[in-house]
Amino acid sequence: MKESVTAPAYAVELDGCTKEYPIPGGGTYFAVRDINLKVKPGRFVSIVGPTGSGKSTILSMAAGLLTPSSGDVRSFGAPVQGVNRRASYMFQQDALLPWKSVIDNVSLGLTLAGVSKADAYSEARRWLEKVGLKNFADRYPHQLSGGMRKRTAVAQAWIVNPDILLMDEPFSALDVQTRQIMENELLQLWQESGKAVVFITHDLDEAIALSDEVVILGAGPGSTVVGTYEISIPRPRDLLDIRDDPQFIDLHREIWGRLKVEVSKTYEAALAEEGEVA
Amino acid sequence: MTMTGSKNPVQKSLERDGGHLVRRSPGKGSQPKSGASALTMRLTQLVLALVVLGAWELLVRAGIIDEFFFPRPSDILSTVWVWISTGYVFPHLLITMEESILAFIVGAAAGLFLGFLLARVRFLERLLDPFLQMFNALPRVVLAPIFLLWFGLGIWSKVAFGFTLVFFIVFFNTLEGVKGVDRVLVDNARMLGATEKQLLRHVFIPSALTWIFSSLHISVGFAITGAVVGEYLGASSGVGYAIAQAQGVFDTRGVFAGMFILMFAVLIIDLLVNRLEKHLLKWRPSRSAT
Repeated sequence: MKESVTAPAYAVELDGCTKEYPIPGGGTYFAVRDINLKVKPGRFVSIVGPTGSGKSTILSMAAGLLTPSSGDVRSFGAPVQGVNRRASYMFQQDALLPWKSVIDNVSLGLTLAGVSKADAYSEARRWLEKVGLKNFADRYPHQLSGGMRKRTAVAQAWIVNPDILLMDEPFSALDVQTRQIMENELLQLWQESGKAVVFITHDLDEAIALSDEVVILGAGPGSTVVGTYEISIPRPRDLLDIRDDPQFIDLHREIWGRLKVEVSKTYEAALAEEGEVA
Repeated sequence: MTMTGSKNPVQKSLERDGGHLVRRSPGKGSQPKSGASALTMRLTQLVLALVVLGAWELLVRAGIIDEFFFPRPSDILSTVWVWISTGYVFPHLLITMEESILAFIVGAAAGLFLGFLLARVRFLERLLDPFLQMFNALPRVVLAPIFLLWFGLGIWSKVAFGFTLVFFIVFFNTLEGVKGVDRVLVDNARMLGATEKQLLRHVFIPSALTWIFSSLHISVGFAITGAVVGEYLGASSGVGYAIAQAQGVFDTRGVFAGMFILMFAVLIIDLLVNRLEKHLLKWRPSRSAT
């Protein structure tokens, strides 16, 4: 695949990235090792891996929140130094500022960039309407349900019109139904946008249903990419029924066959460690 | 604005609800669990106070408690009234408040500034930490005599004394508050394009405010403590001085009267701080009942 003649600038490109931490007692802990990841503009790529496989580490490196110990991170051809200015990040945890109302949270990216309050608010209102929260503009985050907080976070991330969306298990804290609704809405937003998405999840169903490409990480520590799968299920997809699609079932079987190995490794390692402690 | 009315049993910490689309409006429909309405509670409190004071009064009258050490509540109140009606106490109260407010403002400002600075500059924190711990370990009362020598009998020795009390509380709370800011909030703001200055304004200061306010009640109290103790040890005016004068002539009524007046002054100030806190921290889920 590497002989692509036009050499398009990738939205996100991790080239041989390793992240290691010194262990207090001596030695080195490898979070991830030799990660190669290329995401073209407009593509939806999911990264799936067992717990502790360094999924969030990869995303943080793409965001510029973490600097790799070795290897290069590039975004649209330019090396990422400091925070990646072309990316928005959706965190697994609640990341809304609890002391700002919903509308102040949503418009934050614009006000930080120096947009006038009136303009930022009118844009924020548009987004709140899009995510179904226009009657909640003056609430504070603690007054919202978990699903509503996620919608607010979606609006907050999208309002700055980034070229890349980095999403770290954004819906994992939600119940299954709310989660499917949110996934559907995310796909609708994304389809019109042409933005690149890097989506972290431990849920293979979610990864296949949403993505153009699924990347499988090996068991940690020091995990690396063990498989990349193209998901050619045609779009637009109906996420509520997609799990019965024969193509989905075939892909799931194939990828799960690979992922299973890594999940078992992680599980056995955890058991062994418990044995040592006991 | 009764204090009991605002104690909402909702926990503020970590509500991991599954994301149901429930339209909760907090603060509403919170029924006091005890079954007693706010008014009944108030009345019961009043009765309790009257019973305790009444028992005190009776025990003194019956000669069971020595009147010299524990003057009758009615006598204390009448002394309070004399102090107020003759205007005797006001100059003293004014001086005490002046010292307290100055100590509080200077102490809190210095504590805030250094707290923010050290929280953001790791090098300074590590450099100064042992020295700050040392000064904090020093029982502050022993400073009062030296401050009297340095700054004289006027208000400045009391301001300096109050300052040492207020400063450390505000400083340590600010330091912890700024350092304890949720990493995710900082990362999120940075991803949205916040500069260091904007981080301070939108993330660190609001986050630290919670901590600062929790220390505010204590530090206001300490500012007044500093002033009164300082006056007691050596001054020419102030409530502490008035108490010391009364003690000098074995006038226990006067001592108690001074205590009562101070108590109510602090209560009123605390009420104002509560108001301010409620206004500035209106985003918070609910105040814990402390």
